[in-house]
Amino acid sequence: MTTHTAPRKTSPRRHTTQAPLIVRFVKSPKFARFLFPWAVLVFWLIGNKLIQDSWDFDSSVLATPREVWDFMWAEITNDTVAPDNVYRTFGISLRRLGVGFAIAMFLGTLIGLGMGLSKAINAFFHDWVMALLAMPALAWALFLSLIFGFDNRGPTIAVILAGIPFVIVNIREGVRSTPRELFDMSGAFNVPRAKTVRHVLLPSLFPFMFAAARYAFSIGWKGLVIAELFGGQDGAGWTMKFWYDAHRLHGVIGYSMFFVILALFIENVVLEPISRRVFKWRPALTGPDVVEEEFQHELDVASGAGTL
Amino acid sequence: MADIEIKNLHKEFGVGDDKVVALEDVNLQLGGHVFVSIVGPSGCGKSTLLNILSGIETPTSGVVNITQSGHEAAPGYVFQAARLLPWRTVMDNLLFVQKDKSDETRARCQHYLEMVQLGDKGSKFPGELSGGMQQRVGIARAFSIEPDVLFMDEPFSHLDAITARSLRTELHAMWADTKKTIIFVTHDVGEAVELSDRILVFAKGGRLEDDINIDLPFPRDPSDEKVAIAKASVLRKFEELDLVVS
Repeated sequence: MTTHTAPRKTSPRRHTTQAPLIVRFVKSPKFARFLFPWAVLVFWLIGNKLIQDSWDFDSSVLATPREVWDFMWAEITNDTVAPDNVYRTFGISLRRLGVGFAIAMFLGTLIGLGMGLSKAINAFFHDWVMALLAMPALAWALFLSLIFGFDNRGPTIAVILAGIPFVIVNIREGVRSTPRELFDMSGAFNVPRAKTVRHVLLPSLFPFMFAAARYAFSIGWKGLVIAELFGGQDGAGWTMKFWYDAHRLHGVIGYSMFFVILALFIENVVLEPISRRVFKWRPALTGPDVVEEEFQHELDVASGAGTL
Repeated sequence: MADIEIKNLHKEFGVGDDKVVALEDVNLQLGGHVFVSIVGPSGCGKSTLLNILSGIETPTSGVVNITQSGHEAAPGYVFQAARLLPWRTVMDNLLFVQKDKSDETRARCQHYLEMVQLGDKGSKFPGELSGGMQQRVGIARAFSIEPDVLFMDEPFSHLDAITARSLRTELHAMWADTKKTIIFVTHDVGEAVELSDRILVFAKGGRLEDDINIDLPFPRDPSDEKVAIAKASVLRKFEELDLVVS
């Protein structure tokens, strides 16, 4: 009688033969990130050409990448016809965003902690938080511009109202999922309550606070732009509308690009390093390249290529 | 070394039809440099008793006195899972349960890390350690506060047999070295026989059914004939009491 044993499953990495350098570079996440803006540029140029060839209208309204770049460069070098240059414009918006964001984080954390710790507080706020989540930023913008007119208060409060429900929900869920077993451990070792709050409760809330901050920042930013667009007399949202009113598509796209650049800057230069520092205790995650390798290994095994 | 006195201890969970009796009229007297194991089937109140002794839970009625030379004794606890703070290093986990962070305290923590063979892992995070290493940190943490009495709740049940065996040997050496009173919950009769001076047998409903003295010299080798006979006799008592345990 012949017995067959299943091939021993070993680490996929040991079986994977090293691909040529060029193939590894093309398949790497870094290359994919580098490729994306160039793919957008090609798509943009081809799209412009197709529209001009197939649609009978004044194609001069379409902005070319060159026009957008020239516009952005003019803004960067302070050569603008808008009332405020790009630095002052974004300075005004960022100040409103910063104040609104700080208030949303502070109040949202307090209310979220209360809702997580008390059923009565949760019941009191629950429906209103859900209503805030469902409220479109446009409605706040119109509402606030009617109340406060065209000063700083409307856009700042729009940031608070847009961001605060996300902070509340995240902090509440953070409190609900705090590790009870670690509190028991602290109790068993007679660790003082204040020390337990500082070293157990707060660190366990950090991932939720971080998620809350990211949400409050991005949602608040959108709320701010809409509020400035409808109820402002300066700021990034208002300036986009200025270029829209002037029928300058390259101005609208150029300002959008400034938004993208700012968002990427904040994500990669501010948030990501903080996240790496705060969560350095987390075991390294399996990256997409590793998953891909494992998937390739499974394919090899299925086709018999990966086994001896 | 602590003295533990338990009088008419009773613990219930839930109310009305959902009421569950976890411990029923438990009376005990323990003390000195002893290693006491509590065994019994799942749901017999072993962990509940340990939680009450350590102050994590309060009894429904009854009295628990844990004293050291007439004063309230300081307890240490080793949990089923290590329960380390994942965001703090191994050394910081030990320091977290200390009253201060003086050089003397740090040196003591380092001493116990070395006793569990982790002297060079103080700067690692728990996520960088294996399950066995994490449990070792949990043991070092409990010893590092130099408790009068140490409570251990199935500390090796999550580990593989070889790691558990090695940790049992280390634990026993530390117990012999530090002269602590250890109360050890397990569902493994072999483990209880290998480690203990006394074995308390609990039955479903939280009743203390038997109190067995294991009068064999340490260290005990599970393959030794006398240890095997002791284990068999304890298991026979389990059969007589109609208890089902591994």
